[in-house]
Amino acid sequence: MASRESDRIASVQQTLDTLYDISQLLNTGLDKETLATCVTMIEGGASPEALAAVVQELRRESQALKAQAAPNGR
Amino acid sequence: MSSLESLVDQLVPQAGHDTHLRTELLAHCQEILTSHIGQAGDADIGNLSDVIKRHLLQASPNGASALRFQNLLSRLLDQPVLTRKYASLQFLQSLAAAQKQSSVSPAFLPSLAPAPPSRPISKAPSPIELAPAQKTPKGKSKAELLREYRRKTGRPHLPEHLILRDTLYILQGISGKYVQFSTQNDLEASSDIVFNDEPRHIISAPTKALVHRLAEVGYLYVRVNAFVQEREGKVGVGMIEQSLCHHLQTQLTEYYRLIAVLESQMSAAPKDDGTSPSSDDRSIRGEETGLTLKRLDVWIEDWKLRMRMMSVCVEGARGAHGGALVNLIHGYADNGDPFVRKFTNHMLEEVSKPFFETLHKWIFSGELNDPFSEFFVAVDPELAHLQYVQPAHDGIGNPSDGGFGGLAGDAEDLEQRESGLKLWETKYQFRKEMLPSFVGEAFGRKIFSTGKSLNFIRYSCQDSDWVATREKISNTGGTLKYSDISGLERSIDVAYRIASQRLFTVFFEKYKLLDHLKALKHYLLLTYGDFADQLMESLSPSLARPANTLYRHNLTATLETAIRSSNAQNDPPDVLRRLDARMLEYSHGEIGWDVFTLEYKVDAPIDTVLDPESMIKYLKLFNHLWKIKRIENTLNKGWMRIAGGAKTFLRIPELDYYWHSVRIVMAEMIHFIRQLEAYCHLEVIECSWKNLEEFLEKKEGDLDALIDTHRAYLDRMVKKVLLLSPKAGREENLLNQVRDVFAIILQFREATDDFYNYCLSEAARRDAEKDAARGLATYAQPTERRHDSKALPAILGRVQEYSTSFSERAQTIVHALQSHADLDCRFLGIRLSFSDFYKTRKEQKP
Repeated sequence: MASRESDRIASVQQTLDTLYDISQLLNTGLDKETLATCVTMIEGGASPEALAAVVQELRRESQALKAQAAPNGR
Repeated sequence: MSSLESLVDQLVPQAGHDTHLRTELLAHCQEILTSHIGQAGDADIGNLSDVIKRHLLQASPNGASALRFQNLLSRLLDQPVLTRKYASLQFLQSLAAAQKQSSVSPAFLPSLAPAPPSRPISKAPSPIELAPAQKTPKGKSKAELLREYRRKTGRPHLPEHLILRDTLYILQGISGKYVQFSTQNDLEASSDIVFNDEPRHIISAPTKALVHRLAEVGYLYVRVNAFVQEREGKVGVGMIEQSLCHHLQTQLTEYYRLIAVLESQMSAAPKDDGTSPSSDDRSIRGEETGLTLKRLDVWIEDWKLRMRMMSVCVEGARGAHGGALVNLIHGYADNGDPFVRKFTNHMLEEVSKPFFETLHKWIFSGELNDPFSEFFVAVDPELAHLQYVQPAHDGIGNPSDGGFGGLAGDAEDLEQRESGLKLWETKYQFRKEMLPSFVGEAFGRKIFSTGKSLNFIRYSCQDSDWVATREKISNTGGTLKYSDISGLERSIDVAYRIASQRLFTVFFEKYKLLDHLKALKHYLLLTYGDFADQLMESLSPSLARPANTLYRHNLTATLETAIRSSNAQNDPPDVLRRLDARMLEYSHGEIGWDVFTLEYKVDAPIDTVLDPESMIKYLKLFNHLWKIKRIENTLNKGWMRIAGGAKTFLRIPELDYYWHSVRIVMAEMIHFIRQLEAYCHLEVIECSWKNLEEFLEKKEGDLDALIDTHRAYLDRMVKKVLLLSPKAGREENLLNQVRDVFAIILQFREATDDFYNYCLSEAARRDAEKDAARGLATYAQPTERRHDSKALPAILGRVQEYSTSFSERAQTIVHALQSHADLDCRFLGIRLSFSDFYKTRKEQKP
């Protein structure tokens, strides 16, 4: 039982690694954790393109916040 | 914490401190997710990987990263964990593409805002597609402008799934909410489609056109279905029509199945508009498998052709019936479109099943099982139940019949016997218009004849055992089908041959047709010389009496005597039993010679060949030949008298000259009659018989051929023996002249008899005178002498008159024969005047 569980975890890990490699190759700029979250969502049925848009949007938001914070901090 | 929240936290760390910002972001993300971004697109991982590779190649042209991606991809595909690898890849690809894009022109980003609902945008554009887009910094295509305009006017397009649902209804012949059949009641008008525009929505013209195209199938379906329903309830629908309906029904069931599948696919699609995030996966599946009007069009395409075909058949079925219907469908079997051809062939196979079943029954057991008269063989309803039973032979040779009673009985006989040929010829009829065209007409005739023969063997020849055995054998040989025409032809050929053979065998072995034909020839055509002579001899005294003093039993008794005393007694009793002597209907003043006739009785099934009409011809021939025979007989006797008597005891020297001329004329007459007789027997009867015999030995063809041959045989004889000329209205000219000659000969014979008697008495008187001169007792009466002196010139005058008129007639006949259309008759002319006797006479005359 335990061995099967560990097998599963190993293969999940491997898949994630592969996806991460592709992600790196494509220069998406996602870290491993975020990628894992996104893949989970896609597996959950989210539309991939919509999700991409979400990620973009959030990044933009975060940049904007940073830009706001920078002059404030200065 | 949902994964979306964690995502927000990961990407926007600032939000962790600011709950307001966080909720705002969450809501925003939610909105994006539920939007229709990325609805379109195909689930082809190969295509996607191509796009990605192109992307990578653009980034690093040396190809190393593309290669690496290929490796990674194959590794990923091996992994069992993810169920939606494609989606994950697409996510990465979209992100990468967006990344690049954002790095080039961040200002473009806002255009990724949610697209208007119901108008799915294509998947994120690849860099190549993107390039021209970058040139129009405004980012608004014409389509987008149009869409905005429409949004402003407030009448968006009717959502496709609604139209789709209605279209599916239409395909089943039901009017939907937005698309309806026009409401006119009659069938023709209902072909129109009416679009029920709601004020809030519009249906675009291209969609309308598409729906129109799809609706054709619905319309055709309604027609086909109506036909099937209508026929279902009706009584007396033909077998072929029934099988057509059955086939159509099967096809319609297939069609329902397709509709059901399409409907189940469609049911996934409407949820696209659902707002809950959980429906996202469905929308994706819908995008892969869901139904659109265009897809529907593709799905329905096959059926459109089929429906058209079916509808054509249905239309035809209204007018056509049975074989004609099969014909109609067969007309489409040569269509150039392989699909239509295949479909038609299949349909024909199904529809022609009852036809072939009937055919099988017909050619193998000779029974017509066709309750709706669809076969190309029709049965005469009046004769259908006439199971011809061989009558007992009690009517033949009933000696108690008197003259008139016998006639009445015979008439009845004739009537009854008529049915043999009638049965054969009219019981079944060939209907050309019902013959399926894949069976040729010659072939159809063959089939027709085969079944008829079998039927005949079975019912008229009492040989149903044989047919039954044959049927059993044939059943093992597989069934007849439309798809196996060559096999069909083969089996029909075989069946035809066997049936004809059997029919011949039955006729010649069981019913001894040959014996009957021979008997007819021997007795009615007088080729049994000794029999004819005997009959003539024993009958002539009674035949010279008036017809009303003759009795049938006397005649039959005489006939019996003639048979007994000639070779005819060796004939089979069955033949002799049928021979009968009787009198034709006579009028006042006729003598026995005029009305006497021999008769040969035939019964079923022989009377199929020897039908009453043929028997009448035989009787005609007999009458003529009998007359010739009689004349010949008369002349023979007369000749014996004058040739013998004149030399021995008729010694009246002053009359010798007259006797000489009488002998000359009589010799001429004998020549005439002998030539005529020889011609009839040698050139006509025997030659015709030989032809008939040759045919019979071959044993080819069917009963029809046999009947035809016999008829030809008989017609040939009638034509030649009676010297009929082909000229209309003057057929019997020569015959009448010949009959006149016969009459003249008879009168001449009477005159010579008188002359003979006169001479006899004169010779006796002179003998008495001589005796008296020698002093012997005499018994001559002096009164006689006085009477005779007046009689002699009259007698001589008669003799002279008849001999000249005979010569004249004979000459005309010879002359007419020489220009006769028939070659054999011309030969008779040559025979009659072999030494140009009549020709020189004619030349001498003028």
